[in-house]
Amino acid sequence: MSSKQSILNALKSVAVAPQAMPPINVSPRLDDVIGQFETNLGTVAGTLHREGGLAALQAKVDELIKEGKQVISQVEGVTGNRSAPETAHELKDIDFAVIPGDVAVAENGAIWVNNQHLGHRVTPFICENLFLVVSADKVVANLHEAIKQIGLNSGEFGVFIAGPSKTADIEQALVVGAHGACSLNVYLI
Amino acid sequence: MSSQTTALNSGVHAKKADIFCKDEARVDWHSKALWVLREKRDRAAGSLPEWEQLRQLGSEMKLHTLTHLGEYLETFEKNCQANGIVVHWAKDGAEHNQIVHSILAKHQVKKLVKSKSMLTEECHLNPYLESKGIEVIDTDLGERIIQLAKQPPSHIVVPAIHMKKEEVGDLFHDKLGTEAGASDPTYLTRAARAHLREQFLSADAAMTGVNMAIADKGAVVVCTNEGNADMGANLPKLQLHSMGIDKMVPDLDSAAILLRTLARNATGQPITTYSSFYRGPQDGGEMHIIIVDNGRTDMLKDKILAESLKCIRCGGCLNTCPVYRRSGGYSYNYTIPGPIGIAVGAQADDTHSIPWACTLCGSCSYVCPTKVPLDKIIHHHRRLKAKAGKLPYGKRNYMPLVGNFMASETMLNCSMSVARTALRILPGSLLKPFSGAWGKYRELPVAPKSSFEAWFNKNRGQ
Ligand code: SF4
Repeated sequence: MSSKQSILNALKSVAVAPQAMPPINVSPRLDDVIGQFETNLGTVAGTLHREGGLAALQAKVDELIKEGKQVISQVEGVTGNRSAPETAHELKDIDFAVIPGDVAVAENGAIWVNNQHLGHRVTPFICENLFLVVSADKVVANLHEAIKQIGLNSGEFGVFIAGPSKTADIEQALVVGAHGACSLNVYLI
Repeated sequence: MSSQTTALNSGVHAKKADIFCKDEARVDWHSKALWVLREKRDRAAGSLPEWEQLRQLGSEMKLHTLTHLGEYLETFEKNCQANGIVVHWAKDGAEHNQIVHSILAKHQVKKLVKSKSMLTEECHLNPYLESKGIEVIDTDLGERIIQLAKQPPSHIVVPAIHMKKEEVGDLFHDKLGTEAGASDPTYLTRAARAHLREQFLSADAAMTGVNMAIADKGAVVVCTNEGNADMGANLPKLQLHSMGIDKMVPDLDSAAILLRTLARNATGQPITTYSSFYRGPQDGGEMHIIIVDNGRTDMLKDKILAESLKCIRCGGCLNTCPVYRRSGGYSYNYTIPGPIGIAVGAQADDTHSIPWACTLCGSCSYVCPTKVPLDKIIHHHRRLKAKAGKLPYGKRNYMPLVGNFMASETMLNCSMSVARTALRILPGSLLKPFSGAWGKYRELPVAPKSSFEAWFNKNRGQ
């Protein structure tokens, strides 16, 4: 018998009686959703820029380029100085990546990013610093609402990103910048 | 590593705990570090008015899935295949390791980068692959530290919690060439980042564990704070994900429940930095999922043990456990320590002692985000051990008597009255040996003049 078949057979004698799936009705906290998002983004070590939109972001990018930084942009309306390379490995010297987010979650500061906007999937992880752009009307109260709005078609990759990468594996001391981006700035448009 | 693991695993819990307790200052430090996590968890849980509702939902959703697991696993496999994912089934750890190796061998993989997976620890995958000539790099910082130190994890979420920063500094100086005597966590983390970046860029394949497997999408969710799983899975063209059958959830809405409680209960964060959903390989890549049983279907055949499969490995029960905090992760004769380690590891425990590494205080069950009834399960394990005639030395002699005493109200009342008298009239030095390890660092209690029952009958009874 195949292992699959023996596992499935064994599962016919589960000792617990079949349980029904519970309905999921959790009331969202709807007061000042963007304010909540800003607070929680701060908790996870990210920074929100409410004013200025894409123009402010482009000005920041121009400044970085002048300093000699390598900037790649996947956001329409923001121009960097690098374009998507042939292989993912060539992204290893990217200092800043600008990426569009689809949905932002107030309760935890997370932003959903889908691989259609990433070029290579590794872009938001391999860059030294990350800029995410999200539309103000895409900020939802909690994860139950967010999960209904995310796109994840067959074959795709998507990720909720909440702040820059971090670790506390050495004596519980929080260090921002583990393997992924070392900083996260979110621009609201 | 395997010989060291065996050495660490031999011996009953109390003996191993004794070793850890020799350095009292370190025990205090260890206990406090974990309590900080518990406090952060309390603040995060307390900030959500719906916390208890989420625990209830998590529990019911997981029980629903476990009682329909065959159907969900089949749906999951079918949907994965439609997404271009190859699915494998392994009945035990040995088969899991062989499958992983055959995939890697087919692609001539020399270097594998791994992110944290308690399942691969459970299967002892690393030593197996190393024996086949494959270099395995653990990429979670805590895991990399213990891998370099040739130690097993001592906690399921913070695997190097037992090490001081000075020890990590010495280790990194030796292995990674950091400055001698440097122990600043930021400096050491940066050094590890640089070192591991080279590994990610030169790896031939990546492997991760799975936090949730979504049946109706054919996708897996992997959660990390460091981004190591995603740096791995998205660079080389070959990605592998190992999952226990218990990682299944019906749909995205179900995953959302667990994503709301997992990090809050683990470290007090509102969510992990990255919650990544893989619903197929990258362009030109290959994605494999290995579904593993390794004893889980057996546990499902016991009504009480079955509930331990609701666990989402947040580590919350370890952080709150008074025994774990003061006996350390190496005192349990199993890869996973703490209350959940007892729940899922007691059957394999050949010292038959870990079900007693518990005060039955119930704190673990109280914090668990999916309401795993840990104290009930641990108590059940004691009965199973007793039934099988497998009580550990010391308990073997008096436990059957205790059982009889407890069962008979008259005998219990008589004996308790004798105990009260003894406590009053006999010197402590004479009685203390009877209290065993319990009395070693404690004074015996002052005996009340009458029993609670007598007091109740006199004052409140009818
Ligand atoms: S048993 Fe509960 S508290 Fe313990 S690790 Fe599992 S989910 Fe967390």
